[in-house]
Order: sequence, then structure tokens, then C-alpha cells
Amino acid sequence: MENKNLVELKNVRKAFGKVIALDNVTFTAAKGEIHGLLGENGAGKSTLMNILYGLYSPDKGEIYIDGKKVRISSPFDSIKLGIGMVHQISTLVPEFTAVENIILGTPEDKFKLPIKEERKKIKKIMKELELTFPLDVKTKELPAGVKQKIEIIRALHKKAKLLILDEPTTSLVESEFRQLLKSLRVLVKKGVTVIFITHKIKEIMEACDSVTVLRRGKVQDTINKEQMTKEKLVKLMFMEKDIKVTESALPKVELPPAKRSKKPVCVVKNIEVKGKEKSKGLKNISFEVYGGEILGVASVSGNGEKELASVMINPSLLSNGDILVNDESIKRLSTLSVFNKGVAYTPEDRIKEGILNDGSIKENVLLGHHTEKRFFKKNLFIDWDEATKAAKKTIKDYNVATPNEELAIRRLSGGNIQKVIMGRAFVNPTNLLITHNPTSGLDVLTVEFIFNKLVETRNNGGAVLCINEDLDELMIISDRIAVLHNGELKGIFQRSEFDKYKIGLLMIGG
Amino acid sequence: MKKKNIIQKDLGTKLLRSLSVYGLALLIAFGLISIIIALLGFSVPEALKTLVTTSFKSAFGFQETIKKTIPLIFTTYAFTIPFMIKFFNIGAWGQMLFGGTAVAAVGLLIGNFGLPSFIMIPLLVVVGISAGGLWGWFAGFLKAKYDINPIISTIMLNFVAVLFVNFIATSPTFKDPLEGHPITRPLPSSATLGFFHGIPYSIIFAILAIIFVYILLKKTKLGYEITSVGYNLHSSQTYGINFQKTIMLTFLLGGALAGLGGALEVMNIHGKLIEGFAKTSGAQYGVFGILTSLVVAGSPTGVPIAAFFMAVLLVGADALQRTMQIPVEMVFLSQALIVLLIVIIRKKFEPNGGK
Repeated sequence: MENKNLVELKNVRKAFGKVIALDNVTFTAAKGEIHGLLGENGAGKSTLMNILYGLYSPDKGEIYIDGKKVRISSPFDSIKLGIGMVHQISTLVPEFTAVENIILGTPEDKFKLPIKEERKKIKKIMKELELTFPLDVKTKELPAGVKQKIEIIRALHKKAKLLILDEPTTSLVESEFRQLLKSLRVLVKKGVTVIFITHKIKEIMEACDSVTVLRRGKVQDTINKEQMTKEKLVKLMFMEKDIKVTESALPKVELPPAKRSKKPVCVVKNIEVKGKEKSKGLKNISFEVYGGEILGVASVSGNGEKELASVMINPSLLSNGDILVNDESIKRLSTLSVFNKGVAYTPEDRIKEGILNDGSIKENVLLGHHTEKRFFKKNLFIDWDEATKAAKKTIKDYNVATPNEELAIRRLSGGNIQKVIMGRAFVNPTNLLITHNPTSGLDVLTVEFIFNKLVETRNNGGAVLCINEDLDELMIISDRIAVLHNGELKGIFQRSEFDKYKIGLLMIGG
Repeated sequence: MKKKNIIQKDLGTKLLRSLSVYGLALLIAFGLISIIIALLGFSVPEALKTLVTTSFKSAFGFQETIKKTIPLIFTTYAFTIPFMIKFFNIGAWGQMLFGGTAVAAVGLLIGNFGLPSFIMIPLLVVVGISAGGLWGWFAGFLKAKYDINPIISTIMLNFVAVLFVNFIATSPTFKDPLEGHPITRPLPSSATLGFFHGIPYSIIFAILAIIFVYILLKKTKLGYEITSVGYNLHSSQTYGINFQKTIMLTFLLGGALAGLGGALEVMNIHGKLIEGFAKTSGAQYGVFGILTSLVVAGSPTGVPIAAFFMAVLLVGADALQRTMQIPVEMVFLSQALIVLLIVIIRKKFEPNGGK
């Protein structure tokens, strides 16, 4: 009897430090289907597929291919088993042509490149799938959509019977998506299985024969095409099946009634920002942040939230519009001058943008404050005694686990690093705090600690703009939630109107 | 109480570790050198003794060592400061040449006005600093504005500086008619520095430079910004530090220090501009500056000691050639070995060391 399922992952568990990325996940994909893998950012989609492709090794769990139990410890193994993966970011060698890229790693003969023969094979696959692209142009000169086609052909050329596509549509326009879909249909007819990772419900509904929805590292459900409705998918993606489970996993934070200031601390007026790379930037965004409130910003990553965070402290990125802090325009101010106005910031990527890795905690606490009166003497010298005091206070107030302020910050854990970054934001009385994913990758206790600090700031009359990709967390701590999609502000919800389904739908552009 | 113990222990192990790194590197390096010396047919104990002790056996040896240490300190800083933000200044040689040449030209041009020493010397020092600084800054500017790799631009600027030396040293205005080689007329005595018991007065400027660099890097805002950018460019930019400005400033500083070094060579050691003056034992001070900086892993605080150590080896090498006819290249070999071994061993021992 032939096995119906091509891939089976059983009870897979994977933790990164204290954070559980995948919790007892079981996933199956049948032969000759397009199987969607749907979930928010951080739901565990990519982690699961990276395990299947051999980039990560699971802490627990089993993998079956064609009914046979296998061990995959590197992509070398998975390629041999007929698994191909197209990553979000191109993995082609930019200096090579399409043909050179596709045959890379295949020839058996060490001394001869069988370009002519392979070329014929490649052309045949291209014809079957109706994919066309130039074979002899260096791939660095080709657009992202074409590179993706080359990667697909490369996987098939290596005789893949399972093709994993990680967010394949991020760099595609609508017509390219249609064409991709057509090619995938041809593949499926030939018996190839496609796993399609995305966070876009629309694509799942159009492309997939069945879908598995992940949420916070757990499988919500696997459903067939006939059962798919937009409403059902949104619910699976954003809501718990069993409410009780969540409450223990989510941070507990008390949010007393807001004492909102009469005048806004920060007014954002029709701002526009040009996007970098894939992101579309910000289009004509306006909102206010009041003293004594936490304004949450919900968005799926890549929809302008990065630009919003950056422009608030680096107004030179503005291509249009204005930002007022306490009625004064900050449009022409440098980042350091914005900080001097009482604006504080904690960046999204705490390691890459937040810390001076080899620097001491003291040097780190000073960063961005070093031109403020308190630390800057005679327009020339740094007052290191004051910096030491500030660092000691941060360590004490934020319970940073460290013997002293001279320790190199890279030796701290992620949670303690985030505490130092938070402490740095509150070295001075803060009018406005801009914080971007302050809790990503942290354990629940640290999350609670950090959220309590945000709430404390709010209760003391400070304005907080909290950009967070985790909607559950936002709903716990926000007084209002603004939704960004595609660089546009899709709406602002009052706390009384919070509705996970409605907000989730807006986040994905529905 | 308990906390303090942890700090001390931390510092103690750190010190012990770097001492053992250096000890081990020197041991292996000298071992290898001994083998080569033996293979060449020379007496190993005698050679090693000459190499290490010449600087300390006679007043002359010590004076020579100091004479080599001073320019080395300057070129080592010239490499080290841009290296703090991960850029390579290969141009210390050119910056030194440019500083020295500018000093010779200006000194000869205004030499006839009869200005006293206390005006002439500070003036020429400023000329040397500015000329070297300009030469360094230009490489930083090219990086900041046009993203041109400083390795390329500083090497190219070296060639220009070499030609500039020739241009000044051979032009009729400056050339000494009695010399066959490109050499200028001597500077007026008001423009030169003397010696104190054989130690050049330029050592005062070297000490001032050491203090200046220390205060600049450890106590000032600029030093903090340079250190921050060196630790993490993205974080520094996110928190408002201007990267372009920092690049230009580090190259300006490095170039200015190398330029001062060149000025002092001309004003103190030679008293005139000689083609190829920025060399010792047949190789440029610029290259030795890079080696010296690598010995201390680009740490600015270690520069004076490392420069002295390298000078000891250079003086020892000269003595080896004089007394035992061992080629002076032997010492380049040993220095290269020491640097390589230190880098390798540090990588092994210190998880995050060795940059």
C-alpha cells in the first residue's frame, strides 16, 4: 500500500534559550498538493520548515519522508531526500548566471562542468513549468521575482519532490503571483508537493489545497480547501482555541483607567517616509499620542512599522509632513537633539541596533545621552562619574543581573540586555517613549517586568508609542491600538472596541 | 564585598590570560627564530642575546632605541585610531612624508626671516600636524562621501606623498646643490630641535601625544563616539552618532599624528628633508606602525609599550648585522612571526579577542 503522506513531522519541539518556538508540533503534507503554512510573525512557520530542511535540529520529535523515518542534520541530507527550499532572501551567487547557479553542486565529475547537457535539462523543466528567464545573465542583474524562478528551477533540477517556499510573494507583484501559481499547479500534477509559507490569508485561499495554521509555536488546526473561509482562518491565526491556555502563557499586567492629558505630547501630521528594499514606507500617516496613554501600533512586519519607529527619532527620514513634540516641530532636529527633547527610544533589534556589544554596561547606558548637559562638560568632556551613577541606578531599578556596571554587555542574557536598553531610555524623565518589539524573544517574567515599566511610565503621565508585532501583548497593555498595513494607517481602536478578529483582519489588509 | 571580589577576579584572570598569550607567542617566535639562526650557521645564544640586550647595554643603544620609538609611536597611533572603527589606514607612511615635507618647505621658505626658535618650532609643528592631518582626512572624506575603501585611497595617497617629497627635495628652491641625492638644504638652526644626552627633544612631543590620545579617547565626547562606533556601528547610528563625521575625524587624527611624527624626524633627526627619510632598518615606519598596532590588537593604551618593544628588536637587528653579519631581514621575520603568533594564540585563548 502506498503512503499517502509525503512528509510527516511528529511532536516536534524546539526552544531557543527559554523561548519555546515550537511546542509539540505535528504536521503532515500529502503527495501532490499545495499545503499552506499560515501564522503571524513568530508563530514558528519558518522554524518548522528550517527543521525540515536541516538548518535547525529539533530538540524533540521525528521526521518521516514517504513513510520512512529519517534524520536530517543538514541541508545536504534534505537535498538528498528530495527536499528543496526557496528562502525569503535570495541564496543565488550574484556573480553567476542562472545556469551556473542551477548546476552548482550537482556535477558528479569533479573536473568537467557538463554545462551543455545540464542546459538542455534546465530548458526542459522551464518549458514544462512555463517559466522563462534569461539563462546567461549574471543573477545580480535580475529582479527579485526572476531570481525566485531560478531558485525554484534549481530545486527541481536537484530532483526535489518537496518544494518549500518561504513567503514567496513578498517581492512579487500580482501578475507574477498568478504565474507562480500556474507553475506550481503544473508541478503538483506531476506529483510534487509544495509547502507554501505565508501570513497572507488571501494567498492561502487562492493557492492552497489544505492549510495548517500555527500560532505561538502550536498547531491550531489543519483544514481542507472546502472548509477554508476567511473568517475561520483569521480566527485560527489570531485567537486561541482554548482561552485558558493563553492566560497562563501571556503576561499579567494591570492597566488602571487612563488619565489622559488634555493636549497630546506628540502629534504626527501627514508624514511620508520612503521605504527601504521590500517595504513600501509610510503613506500620509497622522495620529496623536497623549500623555498618560500607551498607543499600540499593530502591524505585520514589513508594513511600515520599522519606518515609523525610525522616523520618530530620525526626522531627516521624512519626505513629507511634520512631527510635533510638546508643540514644537522636530522636523529639522538631529537624533541627539530629539533625545534632548525628552524622547526616548528602544530599537527593534536589540543586539544589532541596541547595544555596543563589547562596551560596558556603563558605556551602553550613556549611548544617546552623551551630549546631554548632565553627562557632557565644557562641550568637550564626558562626565564618567555621572555615567557610572546612571548605570548603577539602571542596574538597581531594573534588576539587571550583573556584578557591576563595568561588565561587557554582551555577557548578559537577552532579557538583561533589554532591561539595560529600557533603563537607558529612562535615564532622564521621558515625555515620549518609542518602543519597538520590546519583548520579542523574552520569557514571560521579563515580559511582565518590561510591560509594567511601560505602564508605570504611562501612569506617571508619560506618552508611550509601543510598536509590537504581537497583537495579544498589545491588547493587554494598550489604551488604543493603531493598525498599519502597507504603509497606511488603517484605523485606531479604543480599548473598549478591541476586537482581535477585526484588528487581525485589518493587519493583513482584509 | 562579594561584588568587589568578582571584579578583582575578573581583572586578574584577564591580565593573566593576556600575559600568557604574549609569553607563549614570544616563546614560540623566539624558538622558531633560533632554529632559523642555527640553520644559517650562527651561534643561537649570542644572536638572541644581541637581539634583546643591545638597547640596554650601552647609552648609544638606548638612545637609538628611543630615536626609533618616537616615530613608531606616531605611525602606530595613525593606524590604531582609524582601526578602532574597523578601518585600515595604510597611509601613515604618506602622512608622515607629507608632514615632514611640508615642514621642510615652510621652514626653508621662512628660514631667512630670522624668526626665533620659540616661534619657529611651534609654527612648524602646527604645519606638520596640519599637512599630515589633511592627508589623512582626505582618505576619510573619500570614504564618508564616496564610499571609497580607505585601504585603496591611503595606498594611492602614499605614492603621491612620495612624489611630493621628490618634488620638494629636487626643486631648485630647496635642493642642496652639493648633494647628488634628492636632499634639501639644512633647516635654519632656529627650526631644529636638539638632543639631551643623545635623547632627541622630540620625545617631549611624543609624551604629549600619548597624553593627548589617552585623554581624547577616554575622557572626551569624540573619544566616546569613536569607541561606540567601533563597538557597533548600527547602534551608534541608531542613537544619533554621525558615522561620516567619525570616519573623517579618525583619519584626520591619525594623519595629524603621523604628520607630527614626520615633522619631528625632519626637525630633530635629520635637520633637512632627505628622500626616504621615514624609514628605519630599510623599511618604512608606516608598515612597522601597522605591525606594532597588531601586537596590541589595536588597543590605543598599549601603543607606547609596544612601540618601545618593536624599537628594541629593530636596534637589536641592526646590531646583529653589524656584529654577526646576520641579515637585518632576520628581524622582520621575527617581528612578523611574533605578530602572527600573538594573533593566532589570542584567537585560541580569548573567545572574543584578537579582533
